[in-house]
Amino acid sequence: MSAIMQPGFWIFILTMSGIYGIFGLGLQVQYGVGGILNFGHVGMMALSSYTMAILVISHGINFWIAAAAGVAVAALGGAFLGLTTLRLRGDYFSIVSIAFSEIVRYVIFNSDNITGGTQGSLAIPPIGDNYPSYTDAWDSILRHVQDFLQPIFGDIVDREFVMAIFIWATLGILLLIISRVERTSWARVLRATREDDEVPAALGKNVFRFRLQAVVIGSIIGGIAGIYWALESSLLSPEDFLTVVTFYGWMILILSGATKVKGLPLAAIFFGFLYGGTRFFTFFPFSLVDSAQRAYIRIMIIGVVLIILMMKRPQGIFGKRQEMVLE
Amino acid sequence: MADFVQLLFNGLVEGSIFGIAALGISLVYSVLRLVNFAAGDFLTLSAFTTYFFSVDLHVPLVLAVLISMVIGIALSLFLELLIWRRLRKTGAGMLALFLVATGVAFVLRQSIALTFGSNSRKFDIDQIKTFEFLGAQIAQAQLVVLCCASIAITAIAVFIKKSAIGKNMRAYSDNPSLAAVSGINVQRVIIATWCISGAFGALAGVFQGTVQGQFTSGMGLDLLLSILAAVVLGTIGDAYGALVGGFVLGLVMELSTWHVFFGGIPSAYKPVVAFSVLVIVLLFKPEGIFGVKARRI
Amino acid sequence: MSNLILEVNDVAISFGGVRAVNGATLNVHVDSVTSVIGPNGAGKTTLFNLISGAIKPDSGTILFQGLEIQNLLPHKIADRGIIRTFQGAKVIKRLSVLENLMLGGQDNPGDSLINFFNPKARQAYENASRDRAMELLQQIGIERFAHEYAGILSGGQRKLLDLARALMANPTMLLLDEPFAGVNPTLVEKLLEVLEDLRTKHHLTFLLIEHDLETVMNISDRVIVMAEGKVIADGEPNSIYENQAVIDAYLGTRKASS
Repeated sequence: MSAIMQPGFWIFILTMSGIYGIFGLGLQVQYGVGGILNFGHVGMMALSSYTMAILVISHGINFWIAAAAGVAVAALGGAFLGLTTLRLRGDYFSIVSIAFSEIVRYVIFNSDNITGGTQGSLAIPPIGDNYPSYTDAWDSILRHVQDFLQPIFGDIVDREFVMAIFIWATLGILLLIISRVERTSWARVLRATREDDEVPAALGKNVFRFRLQAVVIGSIIGGIAGIYWALESSLLSPEDFLTVVTFYGWMILILSGATKVKGLPLAAIFFGFLYGGTRFFTFFPFSLVDSAQRAYIRIMIIGVVLIILMMKRPQGIFGKRQEMVLE
Repeated sequence: MADFVQLLFNGLVEGSIFGIAALGISLVYSVLRLVNFAAGDFLTLSAFTTYFFSVDLHVPLVLAVLISMVIGIALSLFLELLIWRRLRKTGAGMLALFLVATGVAFVLRQSIALTFGSNSRKFDIDQIKTFEFLGAQIAQAQLVVLCCASIAITAIAVFIKKSAIGKNMRAYSDNPSLAAVSGINVQRVIIATWCISGAFGALAGVFQGTVQGQFTSGMGLDLLLSILAAVVLGTIGDAYGALVGGFVLGLVMELSTWHVFFGGIPSAYKPVVAFSVLVIVLLFKPEGIFGVKARRI
Repeated sequence: MSNLILEVNDVAISFGGVRAVNGATLNVHVDSVTSVIGPNGAGKTTLFNLISGAIKPDSGTILFQGLEIQNLLPHKIADRGIIRTFQGAKVIKRLSVLENLMLGGQDNPGDSLINFFNPKARQAYENASRDRAMELLQQIGIERFAHEYAGILSGGQRKLLDLARALMANPTMLLLDEPFAGVNPTLVEKLLEVLEDLRTKHHLTFLLIEHDLETVMNISDRVIVMAEGKVIADGEPNSIYENQAVIDAYLGTRKASS
């Protein structure tokens, strides 16, 4: 119970909410606007974070360039997935998208000499004798901001606090941009396509191109989430990018009502509680199981929530039932 | 040559397992329009229950397998009553079905892990005995699996083609509303579908556990993607296609490790091979091998 | 210079074992109203799907304004000026009536993501498009529904919307799939008015599928009759009435079932 009293707990929840919120936004563009069921989204996170880590650690590249490269690789991953499979029927696309992220994970897992394999990013072969942490450049930024804010707000401002601020600021900016994008005619074509792809095609719209763009934009956002994940967790491992993570994003998306962005922050925080709570709660019934098993329970709870959500309230917290019925 | 025969045989065995599991999934899709993402975990479940009954409780293996099949069927029917029926009533769309199936998969997988723990298991059968054939070592266990799988596949093929309920299943999957008004007992068709899928999922799980030697709670999940690839390859909803897809992928995956092909693709990458083959085929036949012409966008 | 805007040459396609279109040949003249009639299952909608690019023929060619289009994707064919409506009038229910129309706008800068950074251009186009859409809505008499979800429109109103939306796309040739089916007589009048207006003012060519023989005979310059995937008659409305093959085709189905 004492965990809840610590500010660190709340900052952790906020941070995780923010990262998965960004991740969920990437899905929102694809599904909420385009009706695309991408179940391989975690693959974009894996691509961006590992690319960044490898570039910094094995090639000594500047963090900011490496991070941009990471996001670019995530975009390319999305483009590759889209180019090969977006013309297929929806359920085939969904199945292959899961395979995509699993294959990304597979390759990471089996390429020990580049990615560190099962040992994670600590085993990435470094460029020199020292092991550079990819968080060095970022940490110094955090420290500057921390030094600036601490005299004003006190000791609560630690590294984690500043991290959370950056993540939520990013999420806020992305939400603003995406909500603008969703008011363009580009989004209107996608929303029409979602319901019936024959009509826009008959009016001259290249439906495939629009959908591909949605996937790439979503993948860029997923890539950004991946960079923040890497920074927050300081080390990477293939286990961080299991398919279940994609469904964290989907849960947030469903909770938020899917078709509009405004419900996303709250949905993300709700998810953050679910995710963080299962780590920190030590009271009954969580006291019955050890921490390894707690991971199993967390995934079980996610499963149960997904089932109940889709059966009882598929429009989430903010959506309109009317819109769901049109599915 | 010996290598080739070995890989060919391995491919046939693995292909038969994929085929059986894929058939269940395709059948469920054809009747219920549901892609059962939990199917992989049904495989795992049956491997563990068979282990529990045969090794922990010393029940004869065949009986343990039968019990596992009953458990698989019972669980499938339980989920149908509790979840799938209700979802159909509310007119759930593709997303709802996908997410709920995934939720069920998560719950099932973690339950198995919590109940049985993370240690690997092994059936109490002779893994060592092998026969020699054209230079290859054929394990008795593999041979038994291949024989049993072939029998099961033949039985189900005959059943679907000749039996009354098999015909009803095909009629319903072709045109659900027409079938319903022409007097076909839809309930029975749905129950039969889940029975077959539950039984075959259980068989596939036992077969895989046998062939693999050791298995953990992640077994089904590791296979699920390759099985889904087989389903899509053979065109989802086509039971015979699933069998063909299963064998094709099983053979391709094993043969890809043959040294003749650029030194042989490392066997860890077999699922990558499976999906690459699938994507290439889909580029030419977007509906799968047995699909019909689709509209273009 | 040919005044043929569309030439369909010996086009065929099979689904499974069924030859849906079995060597169909027909021509459409510029600025004309041509109707395609025939019993159910004759292959009329499949023909439309072939012309609009939704499916690719197994053999044969289709030329629009002299250029081959049978291998092009639907949106490219629409780009060239062939705009179609659908049997049953597909409206996008989750968009408003106005948004449905604005969907038809061609060369909309807002469709291109690069122009996300050019809100002025986007806004200018949207305003012009909206004005045009409202005009069209007034012309067809449903402007009061402009901001409602298109899903609330009646069947006949949806047909009007479908047609208006097609017009927004600056068509050169309109493919209308059963535009009058299930529409009450007053609205049919309205539709005919709009079509006549278009013909005279905008030099549009019309190719329609229609079952109502009276309307067909009244408005068409040419009538094409299809049966069993082939074109069995092609000529002026009066000549079709007398054509033995046509009579056989229409009565043939009745004979078979008696």
